[in-house]
Amino acid sequence: MEHLLANYYETGAIILFGVGFVTLLAHGNLIKKIIGMNIMDTAVFLFFIAKGYIAGNEAPIIRSVKSASGYVNPVPTALMLTGIVVAVSITAFALALTIRVYEKYGTVDLNEIIKMGGE
Amino acid sequence: MPIYNSYPLVIILLLFVSAFAIPIFKSIKMARIISISAAGISFALSILTLMGVKADGAYYFRVGHFDAPWGIEFHIGIIEGLMGVLFMTVSLAVLWFSVYSIDHDLSKKKVPIFYTLVNLLVGSLLGIVFSDDLFNCFVFIEISSIASCGIVVVKDKKENIKAALKYLILSSLGSGLVLMGIALVYSLTGHLNMPHIHDVLVSIYPDHSRNMLIAIGLFTVGLGVKSAMFPLHTWLPDAHTYAPASSSALLSALVLKAYVILYIKIIHRVFGMSIVGDLPVLNIVLLLGAVGMIAGSVLAILQKNIKRMVAYSSVAQMGYVFFGIGLGTTMGLAAAIFQIFNHAFTKSALFLSAGSIIEKTGKKNIADLKGVGKEMPFTLAIFTIGGMSLVGIPLLSGFNSKWNFAVAVIEAHRVELLAVVLISSLLNALYYFPVIVNGYFGEESLEGKVYRNTERPIKELVPIFALVLGVIYFGVSGGGLLSLIEAGIPALK
Repeated sequence: MEHLLANYYETGAIILFGVGFVTLLAHGNLIKKIIGMNIMDTAVFLFFIAKGYIAGNEAPIIRSVKSASGYVNPVPTALMLTGIVVAVSITAFALALTIRVYEKYGTVDLNEIIKMGGE
Repeated sequence: MPIYNSYPLVIILLLFVSAFAIPIFKSIKMARIISISAAGISFALSILTLMGVKADGAYYFRVGHFDAPWGIEFHIGIIEGLMGVLFMTVSLAVLWFSVYSIDHDLSKKKVPIFYTLVNLLVGSLLGIVFSDDLFNCFVFIEISSIASCGIVVVKDKKENIKAALKYLILSSLGSGLVLMGIALVYSLTGHLNMPHIHDVLVSIYPDHSRNMLIAIGLFTVGLGVKSAMFPLHTWLPDAHTYAPASSSALLSALVLKAYVILYIKIIHRVFGMSIVGDLPVLNIVLLLGAVGMIAGSVLAILQKNIKRMVAYSSVAQMGYVFFGIGLGTTMGLAAAIFQIFNHAFTKSALFLSAGSIIEKTGKKNIADLKGVGKEMPFTLAIFTIGGMSLVGIPLLSGFNSKWNFAVAVIEAHRVELLAVVLISSLLNALYYFPVIVNGYFGEESLEGKVYRNTERPIKELVPIFALVLGVIYFGVSGGGLLSLIEAGIPALK
């Protein structure tokens, strides 16, 4: 318990990850699935950035000559920028497909779509 | 630094740049010329790379001219070189075949998009294979997810959209898990470069074994979803069945394989056998592989649609690959990599020939395809060779692959697993032979069929013949490839 509270960023991230994971798997509604996917990705971003944060240090923008120990770790932040771009593009693609599914099947519920069967 | 060292980067850049050059011209002919010439040049470069690596051994290539812990590196050994050649050979053959067949499935406007997506897909898959940086691999994984869903949905049918959405959701689930795995590994080590992670992980292993178990579990499930490890394969049959024939061939021959290669690299390069051997992960992979070998075949027997049957057979064949990885021995790994070759050539030939049969006869169900051997003798001959290879008839690559697995199982002193290999081969025979036998023989079924009535011109079958030639070549002289793979495995660790 103490460990969980001491690392509250990580704890929060993992709880969010679980929420997203279950939403993605358990819900039939495609929009909810996409929301779940986004929560899951965001949880990973939080986890990563929390790992790079060093309490009391500045953002890594160099204004005066200061030793490297004065800044937070910039690598996770940079990585997560890429991660956000990737997540956005996947979300956009998934939403576009959802629109097409709605046009063709008249519903966004995956269970109903599967019940309709193919061909 | 020899000049061939930069070829892997050139290949990836060439494929990406050509992918984005295609939409500029808006003409199908230009799209084909650009796409195929880029693939052709990449094919030549991949062969030169392999020859260089064979002569001089594995090397690191600094992509941004920064040294390892800061910059991104490629690691090119014999395995990576072989994979480059394999991927380019299969994609070149599929692109060539698509010239004759893709118009049938797609509207005119979509054809250039198809070529864009294929080049993007192959480039990103090679990125996964070559890169030595975990986060870079993740970015390539996401590019390949989008591109591979794209080549499913490019055929604008109801079923395709459904299949692509299912595929996209499950594969983004997989990449989410992989990213979480990377986050755990990064938080433990502070590195993303595989050998650097490995060094740190080995030094801190016993203290953080639980963290490592969770990370490797996340990688296993995440990449398992993407490469259709048995209980996680549910997206595969839909996506591979409804996609156009050329897309199905690429999806099952290449896309599944790149993630497996990444998984092998994670097991052997990132964690290393000293850690993984201590954890129960490989036994689970072995079990899932074995179950997949049997269950995939049983599910394939139950299918009525010929393409769906071939798709389920992919689940069984990927089971072999995971089975080999799960054995945890060098021979097991070599057998798994050989199986990657065998399956890539065989399954792409099978998908292209099954797709041709569906395209020309308009019949999808196996029951309706009786006597097709008289109408399309050459196409069915290709299907026959592919099917027999997967069953394990000698002189075809599938036999060598199964032989390697048998040797690996015996070497690992787990002889009871030999039964799984044998049963799975028998089950393969149960679903490939009926198609072949009913296609060629039987008075009733041949009645009223006109010889070569719906056959494709021989010219259009040449690319599939090229793939079948690969199947036969690795069947007759599989020893050379196997010893090359075995020579490459030490560099993988």
